[in-house]
Amino acid sequence: MNKIIEFSLRNKLLMLSLAVLVMAGGWFSYKQLPIDAFPDVSPSLVQVFTETEGLAPEEIEKYITFPVEAAMNGLPDLETIRSVSNFGLSVVNIYFKDGTDIYFARQVVNERLQEAREQIPEGFGDPQMGPISTGMGLVLFYYLEDTTGQYSLTELRTLQDWLIKYQLQTVPGVTEVLGIGGWEKQFQVSIDANALLRYDFTIQDIIEKVESNNLNVGAQFIEKNAEEFIVRSVGLVKDMADIENIVIKTEDGTPVYLKQVADVKIGGAVRRGVQTRDGIEEVVAGMVVKLYGSNSSTVIGKVENKLAEINKMLPEGIKIIPYYQQKSLVEAAVNTVTDALLQGILLVALILVIFMGSIRPSLVVALAIPFSILFAFIGMRYLNLSVNLMSFGGLAIAIGMMVDGTIVMVENVDRMLRQSKSDEPRIHVVARAAREVARPILFAISIIIVVFLPLFTLQGVEGKTFKPLAYTVSLAMLGSLIFAIVLAPLFSQMLMRRPKKALKAGEQAKEVAIVRFLNRLYLPLIRFFVKRRSMAITLAALLLIAGGFIYPRLGSEFTPTLQEGTIILRLTMAPSISLNESTRITQIVERRIMKVPEVEHVVTRIGRGEVGAHTDPINSAEMYILLIPQDEWKSADSQQGLEGVIREEVGEIPGVLSNFTQPIQMTVDELLEGVRAELAIKLFGDDLQVLKEKADEIARVIQQVPGAADVQPDQVSGTPQLLIQVNRQAIARYGINVEDVQKVIRAAVGGEVAGQLFEGVRRFDILVRFSPDFRSTENSIRQILVETPEGAHIPLEQLADIHEIVGPRQITRQNSQRFITIQSNVTGRDIGSFVADGQKAIEANVDLPPGYLVTWGGQFRLQQEANKRLAVVIPVTLIIIFILLFSSFGSLKNTLLILLNIPLALVGGVAGLWLTGQNLSVPSSIGFIALFGIALENGMVLVTYLNQLLKDGVPVDEASVKGALLRLRPVLMTAVTTALGLIPLLIASGVGSEVQRPLATVVVGGLVTSTLLTLLVIPAIYKWFAIDTDRETQMD
Amino acid sequence: MKQIQTKRLILFSVLMFVIISCGTEPGTKSEKPEAHNEAAEEHNEIVQLSQQELDEFGVVLAVAGPAKLQTHVSLPGEIIIPPHNLAHIHPRFPGMVKEVRKTIGDRVQKGEVLAVIESNESLSDYKIKSLIDGTVIEMHLTRGEMIDDAKHGFVVADLNTIWIYLQVYQKDLPYVRKGQKVLISAGKGLPETEGIISYIAPIIDEQTRTADARVVLRNRKGLWKPGLFVTGRIVTEDITVDVAIPKTALETFEGETVVFVKETEGFKPQPVHINRENDTLVEIEHGLKAGQTYVSKNGFVLKTELMKSEFGDGDH
Repeated sequence: MNKIIEFSLRNKLLMLSLAVLVMAGGWFSYKQLPIDAFPDVSPSLVQVFTETEGLAPEEIEKYITFPVEAAMNGLPDLETIRSVSNFGLSVVNIYFKDGTDIYFARQVVNERLQEAREQIPEGFGDPQMGPISTGMGLVLFYYLEDTTGQYSLTELRTLQDWLIKYQLQTVPGVTEVLGIGGWEKQFQVSIDANALLRYDFTIQDIIEKVESNNLNVGAQFIEKNAEEFIVRSVGLVKDMADIENIVIKTEDGTPVYLKQVADVKIGGAVRRGVQTRDGIEEVVAGMVVKLYGSNSSTVIGKVENKLAEINKMLPEGIKIIPYYQQKSLVEAAVNTVTDALLQGILLVALILVIFMGSIRPSLVVALAIPFSILFAFIGMRYLNLSVNLMSFGGLAIAIGMMVDGTIVMVENVDRMLRQSKSDEPRIHVVARAAREVARPILFAISIIIVVFLPLFTLQGVEGKTFKPLAYTVSLAMLGSLIFAIVLAPLFSQMLMRRPKKALKAGEQAKEVAIVRFLNRLYLPLIRFFVKRRSMAITLAALLLIAGGFIYPRLGSEFTPTLQEGTIILRLTMAPSISLNESTRITQIVERRIMKVPEVEHVVTRIGRGEVGAHTDPINSAEMYILLIPQDEWKSADSQQGLEGVIREEVGEIPGVLSNFTQPIQMTVDELLEGVRAELAIKLFGDDLQVLKEKADEIARVIQQVPGAADVQPDQVSGTPQLLIQVNRQAIARYGINVEDVQKVIRAAVGGEVAGQLFEGVRRFDILVRFSPDFRSTENSIRQILVETPEGAHIPLEQLADIHEIVGPRQITRQNSQRFITIQSNVTGRDIGSFVADGQKAIEANVDLPPGYLVTWGGQFRLQQEANKRLAVVIPVTLIIIFILLFSSFGSLKNTLLILLNIPLALVGGVAGLWLTGQNLSVPSSIGFIALFGIALENGMVLVTYLNQLLKDGVPVDEASVKGALLRLRPVLMTAVTTALGLIPLLIASGVGSEVQRPLATVVVGGLVTSTLLTLLVIPAIYKWFAIDTDRETQMD
Repeated sequence: MKQIQTKRLILFSVLMFVIISCGTEPGTKSEKPEAHNEAAEEHNEIVQLSQQELDEFGVVLAVAGPAKLQTHVSLPGEIIIPPHNLAHIHPRFPGMVKEVRKTIGDRVQKGEVLAVIESNESLSDYKIKSLIDGTVIEMHLTRGEMIDDAKHGFVVADLNTIWIYLQVYQKDLPYVRKGQKVLISAGKGLPETEGIISYIAPIIDEQTRTADARVVLRNRKGLWKPGLFVTGRIVTEDITVDVAIPKTALETFEGETVVFVKETEGFKPQPVHINRENDTLVEIEHGLKAGQTYVSKNGFVLKTELMKSEFGDGDH
């Protein structure tokens, strides 16, 4: 160590260039770092979507979900397969182990997908992988505004699907653009069922005719006088008239045209999602999905530029209006921490000047901040971390700590310079001073890094959220260590001078005014406590008791919710609701929200659009509430306050459940398939009916267990079905096959795509279907005629039993087995015992048929796992700290004395939380962890010096007073800089501040008590823990 | 040591469990009958909405009362020429056509000469004459043609009246009776006409599996052209019932058909029994009395308000 210091002092140029190189590297790395709002907590997941129009959940599960799931079994690094079979949509989520490369996962899934495709019957949809993105990938939403009012929703949707979408997809970093709302253009052939009878046709005949009269072919070429002519036959339908004039039959040379049996018109395809705005109109909207791993802020920037370009290409009067963009969130989050960072730096610099009384040493210390931060950037780049709220937050937290090592170093140099004789070369004084404190600095900073170890063992969402913070803190501390030991002596030697007075008089220089003042204040105090040790112990004991008193009063939560700055009101309506009705209700709610003066717009997505991002059913609506700038608010001054105002205005909506959420939170929850309740009881089994009955039974039993709250089985049924059960006897009588009946039902009621019409490259489906008169009511479906082989026409009613039933809304499966979740929260008792009781209660009261299985999971499992891991990691960390301390001091007593700091620091942290009304949570735990390190550091600095004095032969009591007095400045400085560095985080109210605040509160609170202890109690009781000077000298 | 602790813990928790379950025993007992009541009570559930909310959500109220209820079935059919209004006129003897006096579309009187033919046997001319008053609709001979079989000749039809044969499917047979009124429509541009079923075939056609029902129509203007496909709407019943309400008032709630009835405290789902119905109206046999105010449209909002607790959470 000493060699390093000396080497550095001797090779100034080399070290300076190295320092400049590191800082330049840091700057370069920073420029390359991706910028996100939050750390991405999405799991390693590949989604497989299969859309099959019109198929009920049971069939989706049978024909699509199952083959896809089956194909995925046994993939490498596979964790779980979960699926949801909805009406018309199958979603299979394939979860891989955390950290699996997403491209690898997609590749293996894709290979198996081929297998699955072969298993899925023809015409039942084609499974596709979701976009290469994560839960944070939805970076920008927009809608189309038509100021002219002349364009239909179909025309707008066509613009979206065929112009805007393709333009946006060319932007690098955009992986998908998904449209929703309006109507997808379609050429609809609406058949008059009576006309079919008249001309003796079946709907199948029509479909075939349409398909076989819409074709272009190539026929190679012919040679003509040494030239080649490509032969090409053009027979595609070009417009509506072409379709109308398709000949479906010729009788005696008289053609029967399609228009004689059907109306051909442009209409909208069947849709499962609607987008509305401000309670006044439907709109067409789109979402931009960012490519996995790309830089959010650059992608959004490029998308914005592209949007400006596209706006120029759009017809007069149509404009793209972005209504949500993550950019503002990214900016806000990064601003919150950048502000805190800058304010912290300023405050720290101010303290330095005050305490050091001169600019030069302050400059040396302040240099530690940019160096450490830039050093951390290099590490971040190496570790593939992005700039986000948490990683930058780590830097903000560490600001005060980054300077600690250098403060101790510079303070010592400063002191030595003041005390040194004027004839001693400065380089010697500096080297001497550096040698004296290098060791304690090394150990103190190492300990700070070590205490962050437990954070690296966090898993899942918490791990992904807080690991970046642990990384940046550790990296910055490592940087500060290098600076303190290698560069600080160098800079001190270059920049610091002996006080002029001292130079003149050759006497010891006097302290800075403020330090003198503090010393004068501190001296009687410390004398008092050193004389009356019992008082010191009483003080410590009192603090501890106070802490013990407050601690149980603290509430607890897992992690505070990050405020994203965008409010979403999510509506859940009855599962049987129709899209028209949910649109109607949504618009009513939109109008209610618009009454709040702070609300500028409300844009709502109901159900789902193009598959890839959302899989919501039509009974779910997400309302993005866009607000006027915060400084113009009158009803409330915070996001939460305004949520309250909106909630009041919206009030109770008949038949609708509503809750507030936020865009990223919502998407991530969905991907995690997170049951938000603490407990999720999953019942696995085969029969949907039995599952539902037993789940209800379990819910009733759990309800009885003391402590149960909000018990709720998943609502899996509730979708009405019109079930057409083909009567086999009846069809046998007429010689009809089941398939014949079903084909008619599918084509007549659901419609069948019979080719496409090309308009340039834009292609639109031609859909053949009965006209609404003949298919839109139960009664008319009963009348649909099925042709027998003999040519007779039999109404469907005579061939099948038709009745209404209530069917499943969705079928959820995990690892190829159906399940239902029963959620519960637990109040007033610990979850472990509740689970045990619950299990007993279920065993005793619920009779499960063979093959049915109950598992327990939910947040509590994660918590348990985390606790188990921490139960090992924290003691290990403490042992490492102990070993570090012990090897630094070589004395058990000293080590214990320093460890005494921990409980007293805890008291301050707890008190801080209590006073500010915050809860125990993951961030506040991290605050405690950081606090340990900082508290120990102060103790170490003091005890080292006390030992030093003792070794020099000063009596213990005198040494205690003198040492404490001399160390007042560095101890106060490190404590005050650390605390002040955090003040901006404490008072920040921007995006993401709610996660940083508990952390900062704990550290600041803890610093107060631990500094008190370090300054008053440790010197007082030092006597009992003092080292044996003789032995120590020998060892040295 | 640890084992003993664990045992104690188990003992303790078992004890606690026993105590707790003892403690809750009377509670559960008293709750059970409640649970039974619940099912009954659920129908007593009341939804309260202010007038303002009713307006906002488009909930429409109406007063139950008597109404005319017409029920009907729709049948496909075809216009044919009544067989007794049709005359096939053929030359009796082989010969050569010397003269053709009438052509398709000509109106002819009974006894009017249609053509003159020279017989092969006697080499003398003979006339063929119309057998009825009517219109020539087919003509299968030209001048100079040699005819020696029954394929040649005229078809004359009297189109002043026509028949419509409606195809009655097996399922509709019970509703279709002789003497019922039928509304005949032939699609766009043609007027609707009323007729009466004069005959229903006693047997079912083996090919089409339908029974024919005949409607005779006057056709002075010649609008109803034989061969035309038509749709017959048969009014199977036309009565005034005590209570009839629009179909939009019906909601399915907990497996029953209900109507939301306004009571003093609010709206109550009232199970109803439906008797007759048509496309738009239903007759309420019991469950709703005349004079009661009920929700005739958008009762769905009320229903979902009652169901609210059931569909919360757990959906994605």
